[in-house]
Amino acid sequence: MKKVMVEHLKYRYPGTEKLALDDVSFEVEEGELIGIVGRNLSGKSTLAQAIVGLVPHFYRGAYGGKVIVDGIEVLHSTVSDISRKAGIVFQNPFTQVTGSKLTVYEEVAFGLENLGVPRSEMMERIDEALTLLGIYDFRHANPFDLSGGQMQRMAIASIIAMRPEVIILDEPTSQLDPQGTEEVFLAVQRLSREGMTVLLIEHKLEKVARYADKVLWLDEGKVMAYDSPSKVFSRDDLEEHGLAAPIYTQICKALKLKSPDGETYPVTLEGAYEVLKRWN
Amino acid sequence: MKSISLYVDRQSFLHRIDPISKIYYIVAAILVPILYPSLTVAFAVMVISLILLFLGKVIRQTLSVYGFVFLVLITVLIIQTLFYPGNETPVYRIGQVVLYREGFFYALTISFRVINIVTSFLILVFTTRSADLVESLVRKGLSPRFGYVIASVFQIVPEMMSAMGRITDAQRSRGMETEGKLSVRMKAFLPLIGPVVLSSLLNVKERALALEVRGFNAKGKKTFLNEEKNFLAPTAVQWSLLAVILIAIIWRIIQ
Amino acid sequence: MELIRVEEVSFAYLPGKLVLDRVTLRFDHRSTAIIGQNGAGKTTLVKLMKGLLKPFDGEILIGDLSVKKVTAASLAKRIGLVFQNPNDQIFKGNVLEEVMFGLLNIGVEREEARVRAIRALEMVELEGKRDMNPHDLSLSQKKLVSIAAVVAMDPEIIIFDEPTIAQDHAGKERIKEIIRYLDEKGKMVMTIIHDMDFVAECFERTVVMNRGRVLLDGPTREVFSREEVLKEAYLELPTVAQLSKRLGLSETFLTPKEFIAHLEGRIKG
Ligand SMILES: Nc1ncnc2c1ncn2[C@@H]1O[C@H](COP(=O)(O)OP(=O)(O)OP(=O)(O)O)[C@@H](O)[C@H]1O
Ligand SMILES: Nc1ncnc2c1ncn2[C@@H]1O[C@H](COP(=O)(O)OP(=O)(O)OP(=O)(O)O)[C@@H](O)[C@H]1O
Ligand SMILES: [Mg+2]
Ligand SMILES: [Mg+2]
Repeated sequence: MKKVMVEHLKYRYPGTEKLALDDVSFEVEEGELIGIVGRNLSGKSTLAQAIVGLVPHFYRGAYGGKVIVDGIEVLHSTVSDISRKAGIVFQNPFTQVTGSKLTVYEEVAFGLENLGVPRSEMMERIDEALTLLGIYDFRHANPFDLSGGQMQRMAIASIIAMRPEVIILDEPTSQLDPQGTEEVFLAVQRLSREGMTVLLIEHKLEKVARYADKVLWLDEGKVMAYDSPSKVFSRDDLEEHGLAAPIYTQICKALKLKSPDGETYPVTLEGAYEVLKRWN
Repeated sequence: MKSISLYVDRQSFLHRIDPISKIYYIVAAILVPILYPSLTVAFAVMVISLILLFLGKVIRQTLSVYGFVFLVLITVLIIQTLFYPGNETPVYRIGQVVLYREGFFYALTISFRVINIVTSFLILVFTTRSADLVESLVRKGLSPRFGYVIASVFQIVPEMMSAMGRITDAQRSRGMETEGKLSVRMKAFLPLIGPVVLSSLLNVKERALALEVRGFNAKGKKTFLNEEKNFLAPTAVQWSLLAVILIAIIWRIIQ
Repeated sequence: MELIRVEEVSFAYLPGKLVLDRVTLRFDHRSTAIIGQNGAGKTTLVKLMKGLLKPFDGEILIGDLSVKKVTAASLAKRIGLVFQNPNDQIFKGNVLEEVMFGLLNIGVEREEARVRAIRALEMVELEGKRDMNPHDLSLSQKKLVSIAAVVAMDPEIIIFDEPTIAQDHAGKERIKEIIRYLDEKGKMVMTIIHDMDFVAECFERTVVMNRGRVLLDGPTREVFSREEVLKEAYLELPTVAQLSKRLGLSETFLTPKEFIAHLEGRIKG
């Protein structure tokens, strides 16, 4: 089943001249994990916000085309109602804190209260999300007293606890330590296997290559590619559009070693290992 | 980053009174001295408010607020004692300057009322978690959006204080003196106002986003993480306060 | 020469919860990365060095000045800090003013401050945004503005707290260049960062922190040869080192370049 459908989406922020999104179309199946990549200002966050309806409901501006999330057309719904279907973790975790709760625990509860989740289930879900993100020990801390990475973990936990059918994460690991990053990717992968549809904006292409089913590559508001990680990251025009292939790919390319398919280059650790091992 | 709340966590009976009753109290504390305009009543109600605040064990945290209020009231007192239009009876003379009785008492009444109003608000603000207040109101059937407006009013002061701390750090880390002598701190205060206001406004905007995407305005019934708290006899407290207000009104009418 | 001495420093935000526990570190001119788990106390440590927080035990010396005895502002000429969250650092209504702010405070004349601020903005390629309100910029741009604002002041010691947040490939390369440039100019550059590839490429020395203590400290290559210790600190090897380890090579490679050169040697030979 198609969970997210974007059709010829065009969007311009009020007071600007350039289209932030320029004729974007793609479809995501239920349970898929999509990596969204592209250089700064290419429109990734705008697209993320278009899926949860902040574009255009919050920002206004000029809008054309269609975004359909789980059968609902975003343009004709409200942000709060879409939030039952699709959750978003913002790029800057600081902007995600509601400011009306005194502890991390209550902060995570906020979304669940609004969804009307029964109390006992609520607590179960919060405990689970906090443990998953490794901040259970900080549940009584004030949300604003957390370190940058801890705040980012809380932001992810508060959306995951809401168990939306579609989740959009905007650079969710930018402030996380390496193991935290890996854990978030593993958690997201698990959620997607359980049926959650995941869209993940990320600059760490090694991780995208490893975990994403497909990569959506944006540049200047347009779709450059929507394909498997190995196809997208093997392209020759990455650099020209401000993207650097995963390091594994760079190494294999420099050595002119293609994957067994003879078309693409390896994009993951294992892929690179397979083609490099015979030189040892 | 400082905590965004003025609430002080203490064990006191005031902390166990429900937020709505405290709102009733504010209404009573404002209305009664107005309906019954006498110095004694103003004084009495003020004393009651202060005693309550004291029992709430939060006096120490409110001192800075009073510092500011006193500064303003002393100015009022001086001006009224000297220039109140109804001034007739001189009580004291310092060279050219004459202090009058009427002005003094007028200013005193104002001061009592102001202190009283401030105190009754402080009782609410310092002994109630804003989340509890909003929750109580929403449980009563108020729209969450309105509840949020109330909560943000609560948070304006702490929010500004935290913005102030943040911006001061940004300033001193780039060479602007903000510490030490009073004159230095006074000088540092002015350039702080603009950025603090700007930052608070931006915060409000970002908060709105944060709330929306967490389904804040979603249709359907809400639930609450905290069980409805067992507050001290809310009905009795509320009815008594209502009774007090009613008596004052009736008194006023038959007078 | 020692530029910073951190002696037995302890710190807690809340009573009874030590965030730094008797940390002792000396810093010379070598470019240094500080890495470690979220919540390890990295930001707290650099805020203490900067004088924004006061240690409750121990001593911090910047050159010969004890941080306890002077105001943070008076240290600004010597030591600059780019905050982790740019929203905490930016407060002016105009990008150029934001970058000029520190310069004016340390006694630079307005005209010269302007010239230096513009030069710093050119360095981060944001010269064209100088009349904008910094709050209207994207997160990655705000981060670059906050870097420019500190670099413009030209302090002896520059600390970056996670400079690459939100940066794309080009942004990261630009920041690498800035770090190299400052290093060559003889500045002491210290950077808190979670990107191990970046650490491997840019820093001579690496300090690993864990739960308020220093777990490991040494030349970067040596630090990255201690995988078991890195694991304990929730860190990992740089990407190339992971690949070389997977291939069973015993050397610790730090950059793709090194590694490619090595493999080319093997393939030819
Ligand atoms: N609130 C806004 N008002 C006006 N223009 C905006 C706004 N937010 C983004 N833009 C513009 O829209 C375009 C796309 O920005 P967007 O934030 O979606 O990029 P991005 O790919 O998320 O970049 P980054 O990697 O830096 O996060 C840019 O040209 C940007 O300047
Ligand atoms: N203002 C504060 N009040 C109370 N505790 C705080 C405060 N700021 C930080 N802490 C706590 O101190 C510890 C260290 O925080 P610090 O910000 O130094 O971590 P960090 O190493 O920079 O982490 P990150 O990589 O996530 O930025 C954390 O456990 C954090 O929760
Ligand atoms: Mg973005
Ligand atoms: Mg930090």
